[in-house]
Amino acid sequence: MSERLTRGEFMRRAAAGGTILTVPGLLAACGGGGGPKAAATTAAVSQTLPKTITFSNWPLYIDVKKKTHPSLVQFEKHYHVNVRYIEDINDNDSFFGKIEGPLSQGQSVGRDVVVMTDSSGLPQRMIQLGWLEKLDKAAIPNMKNLIPAQKHPNWDPNRDYSLPWQSGMTGIGYDPKKVGYEIDSVDKLFTDPKLKGKVTLLTEMADTMGLVMLSNGDDPSNVTQKTWDAAVAKIKKAVSSGQIRQFTGNDYAPLLAKGDVWACFAWSGDMVQLQADHPGLKWAPTTTGAMIWTDNMLIPKGGNVYAGSVLMNWYYDPKIAAEVEDYVNYICPVAGADAVLEKTDPAVAKNPLIFPPASLLAKTHIFDGKALNNQKYKQDFQKLIGA
Amino acid sequence: MGRLLHRRAWLTPYALLTPGTAWLLVFFVVPMYYLGKTALSQGLFPIFSFNWQWSNFSDSVSTYSTQFVRSLEYAGIATALALAISYPLAYWIAFRGGRWKNLFLLLVIAPFFITYLIRTLAWETILADNSVVVRTLQAVHVLGSDGRLLATSAAVIAGLTYNFLPFMVLPLYVSLEQIDHRLVEAASDLYASSPVSFLRVTLPLSLPGVFAGVLLTFIPAAGDFINAQLLGTPQQYMIGNVIQSEFLSLRDYPTAAALSFVLMGAILVLVLIFARVLGTDRLTAGAAA
Amino acid sequence: MRWVRRHVLDAYAFLALVYLFVPISVVVAFSFNNPVGRFNYTWQGFTLSNWTHPFAFPGLSSAVQVSIEIALLSSLFATVLGTLIALALVRYRFRGSATTNLLIFVPMTTPEIVMGASLLTLFLNWRIPQGFSTILIAHIMFNISYVVVTVRARLVGFDRHLEEAAMDLGANELVTFFRVTLPLIAPGILAAGLLAFALSIDDFVITYFNAGTTITFPLFVWGAARVAVPPQINVIGTAIFVVAVGGMLANVLFQNRRARRLA
Repeated sequence: MSERLTRGEFMRRAAAGGTILTVPGLLAACGGGGGPKAAATTAAVSQTLPKTITFSNWPLYIDVKKKTHPSLVQFEKHYHVNVRYIEDINDNDSFFGKIEGPLSQGQSVGRDVVVMTDSSGLPQRMIQLGWLEKLDKAAIPNMKNLIPAQKHPNWDPNRDYSLPWQSGMTGIGYDPKKVGYEIDSVDKLFTDPKLKGKVTLLTEMADTMGLVMLSNGDDPSNVTQKTWDAAVAKIKKAVSSGQIRQFTGNDYAPLLAKGDVWACFAWSGDMVQLQADHPGLKWAPTTTGAMIWTDNMLIPKGGNVYAGSVLMNWYYDPKIAAEVEDYVNYICPVAGADAVLEKTDPAVAKNPLIFPPASLLAKTHIFDGKALNNQKYKQDFQKLIGA
Repeated sequence: MGRLLHRRAWLTPYALLTPGTAWLLVFFVVPMYYLGKTALSQGLFPIFSFNWQWSNFSDSVSTYSTQFVRSLEYAGIATALALAISYPLAYWIAFRGGRWKNLFLLLVIAPFFITYLIRTLAWETILADNSVVVRTLQAVHVLGSDGRLLATSAAVIAGLTYNFLPFMVLPLYVSLEQIDHRLVEAASDLYASSPVSFLRVTLPLSLPGVFAGVLLTFIPAAGDFINAQLLGTPQQYMIGNVIQSEFLSLRDYPTAAALSFVLMGAILVLVLIFARVLGTDRLTAGAAA
Repeated sequence: MRWVRRHVLDAYAFLALVYLFVPISVVVAFSFNNPVGRFNYTWQGFTLSNWTHPFAFPGLSSAVQVSIEIALLSSLFATVLGTLIALALVRYRFRGSATTNLLIFVPMTTPEIVMGASLLTLFLNWRIPQGFSTILIAHIMFNISYVVVTVRARLVGFDRHLEEAAMDLGANELVTFFRVTLPLIAPGILAAGLLAFALSIDDFVITYFNAGTTITFPLFVWGAARVAVPPQINVIGTAIFVVAVGGMLANVLFQNRRARRLA
């Protein structure tokens, strides 16, 4: 608790609304600092939780039971706070377009934690622009439970700004009955005449370009003009030959389910859901590797650093992570959650698409963060996918 | 009160206009001013500087001329199809609907209660590659043996047509319902056959509705992006998709803004030509005596 | 032959309605689907459990409520504002009528994404917090044009003689307007209101940018679609439709009974 406020004053301010206890708000309230544009310093961070914590996430991305989110309810009970959980993120670029206005003017976006994907290049961009707060690692002792593969991503090597929420792998999803064989190479996907018009690729640049680069023997985490051009050329050829039916977001899922698409670039989490109704559908990393993307918890500028960090810490408790994982079924970043689930839901614990073995994770790659924000590459890709 | 209104009669139109136009001025024109400034800026996100960059307009047109033309084409075809489907329906509701008119109007917009995504998923089920529809069309050789309906221009245009149907039906109905049936009777009393009385009496009287319906369908359809995104391939992408990607993915706000203004200008020009052809006075000013 | 000629129109209209409702029937059918997974893409079996648990997904019901409230309010306001403008444009010749016409058309031509983003810039610059009210403001704004164009189509064909007759019989302008004009253009106003309602309840892009942390039904569906398309969405869409149509049907039947009793 800050020495500069009496307990009474503090309680009154807390009652007035959580946002005043953000760092800039505190500085302003204490008469110091320059209002919302004041630079945040960890020394002034309050160590008491505000009345309300605002957590923005993707829809249906947290445990659900009887119309509530048990993990959040447990958090609220444990810490005597209120969590405003808002499911308003449905696309990285759109959400960024929504929050870049206030952030670029130094205004707070009214959220303590948001979740965005690394393969969009946006967390990287936000770090560059100074729009993210550093985590209060002292408040996140459970960070030690982060699985080793996620400990040092190239864009946030010390996990100063982010902690994974869920991950997913991108590989080839296919219907072996329609294709006729186990397809696991991008080249076959692009050239097998039987698959003409039955293949879709993703509009996600990191996933599509990454997988194609891997098939060329190139490293997607280090993009050069040469490797880029080679991948673009390969895709262009497949598009003009009519092999590629469409570029999709996750609307490939209904097409795959109905048999309009026989093989495509697909996300592992979607396959888990599709397989529930269509057990014949399969997912495989390509022979040359798969891509992995991670949705990261971030604290935007103006959010309450301590509160956000405490919330993140909660979700790195293996028991809580297991609760979330049991419902969400993407890839869990918390070590020990599978051990918990083995007793309560072994099917989930043993699913290699939810708890991939180290051998599978070793085959995954992430895309070059610099290339993700390179305007020229982005323009090339947009031209490729038609717009 | 009546006398008061009478003396200040010249004020009346302005009084009527004020609330609505004030709303539009504040919440549309001002944002458009910001957009205009952006269109004349240049730079890379997030730093854009305003410097009368007129080249944004010419550059964007030359780069994306294909998509511009395609958008106007698709919107035009969809509008024509919508008119063909909607006119008889609106006519039927207006002339034969009786006491159930309002119910039918509600039925026409009812599909909108179910979000666009779910409606489109339903169409994707109906028109799937191995659906009854496609297999029948293949059997009668309208489609090739491995032809498909989804992910084609036909699918995009069909999506546009379907989703803008209420925008065509409602204005047509509004105009048709007003037609005095006695005029039609009089025509037949004067020995006009049904087709003739339709062409010479009903159709001209319904032109304001046709005009309105065409506008309300063509204008938004030209800027649409979602139908091409879900139902089309890169070869079908419209200018709306370009603006979407320039704005959201490339974050090239000046180009997106310039493209928007060019689109708006092109549509307005077409609307003006269309109004001229139909004869504006009869369509926008009230018939006097 | 005569029978066919007489009923061609009926057949055509019927087919048009069928076309309109074919996907809706698929949506309704799939509300009874029983998928094991989270996607409602292929038929897996019949169940009533979606209908007995329509609110199993937290957030869905509040999103629907918000959407309906905004649609009702925005269509109401837009209809009033738009009708006034239409009256001015059709009935009077005044300076600035051409500009007003332009002002009405241009919003319809503007791509939603730039309209939504520019409006957000306005709200940010003027420090207006985004939420329910900003969504409402945006919806009223884009609905006005559609109302004007629709009501105008009705006003243009309006027979002024009726008004003149009323005034000859001693009614002043205000009474004439409310007793003669308004009832006669009511179908146009109703149609415009319905159109505005439909536009508002289905809007996604403009709403997305100006919603702050409020969630509407389309926002929820699009957001959820990444990981799930629950049949409950179909249930709620169907329910709204059934309630609206049922209400209208009851109204018509009630009017019929009344008309018969008075006859």
